[in-house]
Amino acid sequence: MVLLSSCSNRYKYLQTTQGDARCIEKFRPRFTSALYSTQVDILKHHLSGLLFFKQMPDSSTRVVFANEMGFKFFDFEFSKDGKFTKHYLLDKMDKPAVVKTLEQDFALVLLNPDLRQAHTAADNEYGYVVVPTAKGNNYYITGKDCNSLVRIEKSSRRRPAVTVWMQSYTNGTPDTIRIKHEHFKFNISLQKVVKQ
Amino acid sequence: MYKWLLLLVCIMGSIAVKAQSGFKPVADLGPLKQQFAKAAQQTQSIQCDFVQEKNLSMLSDKITSKGKFWFKKDNKVRMEYLQPSYYLLVINGKDIRIKDAQKENKVSGKSNKLFEQINKITVDCVRGTVLENADFRTKASENAQFYRLELEPVNKVMKDYFNSIILLVDKTDYSVSKITMGEASGDDTTISFLHKQLNVNIPDAVFSVK
Repeated sequence: MVLLSSCSNRYKYLQTTQGDARCIEKFRPRFTSALYSTQVDILKHHLSGLLFFKQMPDSSTRVVFANEMGFKFFDFEFSKDGKFTKHYLLDKMDKPAVVKTLEQDFALVLLNPDLRQAHTAADNEYGYVVVPTAKGNNYYITGKDCNSLVRIEKSSRRRPAVTVWMQSYTNGTPDTIRIKHEHFKFNISLQKVVKQ
Repeated sequence: MYKWLLLLVCIMGSIAVKAQSGFKPVADLGPLKQQFAKAAQQTQSIQCDFVQEKNLSMLSDKITSKGKFWFKKDNKVRMEYLQPSYYLLVINGKDIRIKDAQKENKVSGKSNKLFEQINKITVDCVRGTVLENADFRTKASENAQFYRLELEPVNKVMKDYFNSIILLVDKTDYSVSKITMGEASGDDTTISFLHKQLNVNIPDAVFSVK
């Protein structure tokens, strides 16, 4: 039974609709300068620190994560058109798989997908903006009228591999962000804090 | 001619910088080490507030944190961050524990060489034995109020992360007023210790995680 449910296509009930895929653009966080208290659980390890998003004058976004004592883990840049640059990653973490995973996770949070190939769909409960990727689709799941962002799923053909929740927007940025990997234990949880 | 002009500009520049900071080199570290060690011997405890600034050079921005610091001889340290989020570091001898907003963790210093060394620096700074630390080459300078100790890492683990660690030591009581850790990436972290109270009674219970 478990095997059957894990193999079933999570998206098989989706019906294509004629909506506007660009409706999700309003959920793109405006990270002018936002600081988050951050907890990372990866396999048996637990990390905490402060994650800082800053929009630069060239409209790129820098994402910097350091522990509370100032010890820096990474410094990434996403250009306006989504190009990724690794400025710094702690030597111990600097593995291609780690870089790729973090790049993909934060690309979901920045919510800046190329919508040229996107279409909209719906099931009984939610609206979906479906963005094709190399290995499946990214699903931006909204309320029926696209007035609220429920979650984002980065998926293979059948089921989600990564789920992102961004909730309680204030001043254009979510108060909480949660990233959950479905195939192995890797969860990132962010809570907005006041930057002094 | 051009090279000479350039050299002159550099020398003038460096004189201007030195005059600005007002620090003159201390040629003989011996007496300073003795005074430092003597003061450390008399310091049974330190209790103070701290302000930490993480300067992100490429982002032209900084992250400021605030909290409370306790030290008790020989090697008990409690560093409690209160803003912008809660974080607690307690060093009690070889036992290092951290607690964040969600979880308490025991840190194994042995498995984390860099953490172990940063921990040693913190304790060495407050104990006044940092000048004896073989992991660094030390240069000292002084002005009327402070000694400025510039520690240059000599071992690879530290060198990969830190360019230098600069301590500002108050001449009145030889306590550390400011630590600046300069990273190889160009960023730095400065911790300023404020409202220091020396030799007040601090119960041992402060150095347990709770």
